Amino acid sequence: MMDLNLVIYALNLAAIYALMAIGISILWSSVGMINMAHGATFAVSGYAAWLVTGAAKPIIAATFGKTAIASFVMATTLVGSSLIAGALCGLVIFALAFLPIHDKPNYSVRALIITLALNIGTVQGLLWMFGPRNRGLPKIFGFGRWEIFGAKIRYDQAGTIIGAAIIMALTLGWLRYSRRGLEVRAMMQNAEGAAYSGISRQMTALPVLMLTGALAGMAAALLSQTIFVSPTSGAIPLMKGLTIALLGGLGSVPGAMIGALLIGFLEAIVGAIPFLGQRYVMFATFSFIIIVLIIRPRGIGGLLDDTRE
Amino acid sequence: MFELLEIKQLSAGYGPLRVLHEIDLTVRIGERIGLVGLNGHGKTTLIRAITHMTGWQQGSILLDGVEIGGTRSLGAGRRTPALVKMGIGVAPQGDAIFPGLSVRKHLECGAHTKLAWRERRMRIERVFDIFPPLRALEHSLVGRLSGGERRMVSIGRMLMTEARLYLIDEPSLGLAPKISHRVMEALWSLPVEGAMIIAEQNVSLLTGRADRIVGMHAGRMRGDVGHVDLL
Repeated sequence: MMDLNLVIYALNLAAIYALMAIGISILWSSVGMINMAHGATFAVSGYAAWLVTGAAKPIIAATFGKTAIASFVMATTLVGSSLIAGALCGLVIFALAFLPIHDKPNYSVRALIITLALNIGTVQGLLWMFGPRNRGLPKIFGFGRWEIFGAKIRYDQAGTIIGAAIIMALTLGWLRYSRRGLEVRAMMQNAEGAAYSGISRQMTALPVLMLTGALAGMAAALLSQTIFVSPTSGAIPLMKGLTIALLGGLGSVPGAMIGALLIGFLEAIVGAIPFLGQRYVMFATFSFIIIVLIIRPRGIGGLLDDTRE
Repeated sequence: MFELLEIKQLSAGYGPLRVLHEIDLTVRIGERIGLVGLNGHGKTTLIRAITHMTGWQQGSILLDGVEIGGTRSLGAGRRTPALVKMGIGVAPQGDAIFPGLSVRKHLECGAHTKLAWRERRMRIERVFDIFPPLRALEHSLVGRLSGGERRMVSIGRMLMTEARLYLIDEPSLGLAPKISHRVMEALWSLPVEGAMIIAEQNVSLLTGRADRIVGMHAGRMRGDVGHVDLL
């Protein structure tokens, strides 16, 4: 029995997964990098939001009191700080894992190793600086729930779904309608053709890394409304993002979105089945992804794509 | 006064494989050069070496007196966008199309200078005038087009920004004779302020039109045979 609560829960999961998976997918096809540091970006953005909102709380309280404006300013501060922190992480990854090695042989493998090292190093750095304690961020959507058609939607769930949808629409719009987005799409589809059109990988890598970093930051800001921030909080989103990007067929943005929806619903449904429950969620997810990739090695993107190279 | 393109002692290849052996070639302004030779004898590699797309290369390449060659063993394609911006227009072998972009977006990609981008609408119209079949396909994805239409898109992308040197690799490859004639006619009718090198296996498509035909064999230049009339 599929009730509305389940749908909301599934959409909530899918929103976070899609933000991570789209970033990983775009990065792989345009920059040629499997970004293992995406999880670190996620965690750093969470901590940045925690630090900034912690510092801003008294200032906001003193300026606006307990008004609606105060919570709006707080929400903007939280989302803005994690977006900026994510983009800055992208900048660091560009400087450390792209620029020094992008014209060396086996660049993809080198980038994978360097970003993996960055991920481990960052997680250890966060542990060393902040300790293993979980940190709670201010609840920007407030506490409470709506009741619609008998379903209870918590504010943070609704906020996550809507926030993720907005940021994804902005990203897709940027890719579709801006000149820089056109260059990125050209680079994603044919690097040689892009080079012959005067589009250089060095110039597209920086905005793409910052954009995907900001997407991870957005995911961190939204997920912080449901669970706590901790140094290792990026691991699960990274793993889910990577596998969903694979399921979607690395490089396909619509594939990654559909993959995120499928996995979101799969996890929600498996978790709700009484004799399976939460402990079988990971098992079901990975079995599903493996089966899809055995049947369709190009993933969901391969099903959507009827063009040929 | 410099020649438009002066290649001296150019060798290039991929990994342990050496494809080009000490090539010398000079291209003057206004020339349309036909580069002929069998499969695997280095036509494409020469074009790729001029744009730094080979695995490694050494030797001097002067474009308008500016050195764009040199010795390099890594970073294939790293300098290519800069060279394209210096004024080399390329229609590569296999077309290097973007399968998920529409014909219009595809052509917009070719407008890489400020001026070309500002005039992109007008320039797209101009490409449609050169290749009328593309006009009806404006919004279809290039990945769904036929081989001939893709070739037109690829050459059209090159034509969106005017270049000093046009490099066109096998414009008739894989096309039906009728379509390849149309593509060649379009190429010959282009006003060329710089020069054009067309690599082509079908010599009959070049005769009477190319100013000079240069042969390649086993990675070396084999005779600058000048104007050839086969018939």
